[in-house]
Amino acid sequence: MRLVCPSCLPGPHLRPQDPSRPLPGALHASPLLGVRFCCTPPRPTPPHQGCPGHRALATARYVKVKRRLKIAKMLLSQNAFIVRSLNLFLMVYISLVFGISHDSPDYTDESCTFKISLRNFRSILSWELKNHSIVPTHYMLLYTIMSKPEDLKMVMNCANTTRSFCDLTDEWRSTHEAYVTILEGFSGNTTLFSCSHNFWLAIDMSFEPPEFETVGFTNHINVMVKFPSIVEEELQFDLSLVIEEQSEGIVKKHKPEIRGNMSGNFTYVIDKLIPNTNYCVSVYFEHSDEQAVIKSPLKCTLLPPGQESESAESAKIGGIITVFLIALVLTSAIVTLKWIGYICLRNSLPKVLNFHNFLAWPFLNLPPLEAMDMVEVIYINRKKKVWDYNYDDESDSDTEAAAPRTSGGGYTMHGLTVRPLGQASATSTESQFIDPESEEEPDLPEVDVELPMTPKGSPQRLELLSGPCERRESPLQDPFPEEDYSSTEGSGGRITFNVDLNSVFLRVLDDEDSDDLEEAPLMISSHPEEMVDPEGPDNVQSSHLLASGEGTQPTFPSPSSEDLWSEDAPSDQSDTSESDVDLGDGYIMR
Amino acid sequence: MSTKPDMIQKCLWLEFLMGMFIAGTLSLDCNLLNVHLRRVTWQNLRHLSSMSNSFPVECLRENIAFELPQEFLQYTQPMKRDIKKAFYEMSLQAFNIFSQHTFKYWKERHLKQIQIGLDQQAEYLNQCLEEDENENEDMKEMKENEMKPSEARVPQLSNLELRRYFNRIDNFLKEKKYSDCAWEIVRVEIRRCLYYFYKFTALFRRK
Repeated sequence: MRLVCPSCLPGPHLRPQDPSRPLPGALHASPLLGVRFCCTPPRPTPPHQGCPGHRALATARYVKVKRRLKIAKMLLSQNAFIVRSLNLFLMVYISLVFGISHDSPDYTDESCTFKISLRNFRSILSWELKNHSIVPTHYMLLYTIMSKPEDLKMVMNCANTTRSFCDLTDEWRSTHEAYVTILEGFSGNTTLFSCSHNFWLAIDMSFEPPEFETVGFTNHINVMVKFPSIVEEELQFDLSLVIEEQSEGIVKKHKPEIRGNMSGNFTYVIDKLIPNTNYCVSVYFEHSDEQAVIKSPLKCTLLPPGQESESAESAKIGGIITVFLIALVLTSAIVTLKWIGYICLRNSLPKVLNFHNFLAWPFLNLPPLEAMDMVEVIYINRKKKVWDYNYDDESDSDTEAAAPRTSGGGYTMHGLTVRPLGQASATSTESQFIDPESEEEPDLPEVDVELPMTPKGSPQRLELLSGPCERRESPLQDPFPEEDYSSTEGSGGRITFNVDLNSVFLRVLDDEDSDDLEEAPLMISSHPEEMVDPEGPDNVQSSHLLASGEGTQPTFPSPSSEDLWSEDAPSDQSDTSESDVDLGDGYIMR
Repeated sequence: MSTKPDMIQKCLWLEFLMGMFIAGTLSLDCNLLNVHLRRVTWQNLRHLSSMSNSFPVECLRENIAFELPQEFLQYTQPMKRDIKKAFYEMSLQAFNIFSQHTFKYWKERHLKQIQIGLDQQAEYLNQCLEEDENENEDMKEMKENEMKPSEARVPQLSNLELRRYFNRIDNFLKEKKYSDCAWEIVRVEIRRCLYYFYKFTALFRRK
């Protein structure tokens, strides 16, 4: 095939073709194809510079050539593609032809399929023709070994055989040897075909399963495998017998150990089976590392049912024992845990820590609200008067108002004038306030305390004992802390306090007001039941003298009791108060 | 994602280390090596068998006897160590033969597998031999006095005979100019030799 480019026609500016010589830019195809491109059209020369007539002609020619050039290029590209693909196809075809032909140089007429198998420990070679139309009358088998050059031998017992198999147990005895076999088929005297094959027994031999019998019992199966009594030593392959037991989709393999040769009958027992179940058994040979095995057809047997009563009874007994044991274990575990205190701990909390009675809790435990009373404290400077263990009645208010008295017990008595806020009467009562540790400040002015009085209105002289009160359970408020003293504006200055009378002692001096005592008991506490006895038998007095301002005065919002709290810790509940004045039952206890 | 290749790299590195570790630990045990050796040898035998489906009858004319050393065939209870040495030598020689000339490309795959298999065989055997060397040095002194007379009479397998055998094979190939028939004959011969050694690996196991 030869492609000629149109612009390769001879022209004034084109060179003639020379197929032998490769032209510059020529594209040569493979010699196999015999395709060769001629030439690449040369470059058109530009029009000459010269006469206008010549010039026009030259330009036209130039344009023509250019056009041809374009067309040629297009064709070339197309052709290149075509040629390349043609090239490829040819190459593939040729290689295939050569390859296939070389693969089977001489045996393109392989028309037989051979198979060699061990049946009852006899090597049987069988063959089959691929072309079923050829039916030979008899066959002939020849073989030789490959380890050394030997002539072909004919198998005598298969000479002119009509069967399509041959027993080669006596001929082929070695597994190391490679046997080249030639099978010839005849029809009369004419050779119809000739096949050959290279056998290597170690690889090519297939092992057919042996014959066996099964006998089923209640819970076991007896498998009897039949081996030939005489087995050739030479052909002892590395075989192992496998007995497969199948039941309800579960397959179990048994590999019994066979000592010595596989000869005679061999019995194997498959035990631990479930009665009244169908079991199928299959037997086959397994050869070392070969994976392809030929399994025997399954032989199934239904096991007879066992004695159910026995098994049921034993099962029941077993179940009961198991349950009992479990219960025993659990009980002992629980008892042990209880004993070591891990579970069920006793809650032996004291009663006070018993917070279960939540309903009564708020009502029981909350301290009662205390009425706060307004008290106006008026300082009165008094001279310090040292108690000279004189039990004279110091009920003289003036003398008392002079100075706070100190008691032997460390109490300082401050005279206070208590005046009810609602009354304008002159100070006629004064309450004495005892500050336990105010000895350091003897110059403290006395503070007049105005107390809201009883409805009677008669001012009374009261003595406030604050020291022991601090020992109370209920919060004691010292309405006259020391700082308050110092904070007085001056002698005679007025300070307004909120006094919680419930937290102070009041002692009524009964020299003047003894009448008043009975007449006008001063209620201090709104909760008579809050009276608590301090130490000392004398203090156990009935609380008929109580100061209460509840009914008479409005309750002013008072600062917290802590403000009025005395910072002096009460030393002890001394009995100075009782030793001071012999009032009899003049003490008011909280 | 730039992190992914890093992760993969790390994983690969880990896998590699694990593989090395496992290979290292597994390779230490010679008994395990025997199992591998047996398996690899059988695979090689299969490859050698599957390389060619049928044997051309014409090649029988060119068949010669390579005379495999008879010591192999006569041993019933050979010395384990000698067999291993011989096996190692045989693997190397067979590898050399199969490497020197390329088959047609459609047999290339089988050839490569055989080469790999033979190399693996040699590797396993080498490791086992090294292990045995250390053991035998201790055992030798003990066994010197206990050596039975029958053992002394058994000739030691020499690698020289084996090398001569493979030289004959090689010469045959060169003589026949690496023809297909020659290759077929050589293939069958080497397979036969390998099968003998395969049978011997069973002896390793029993010992």
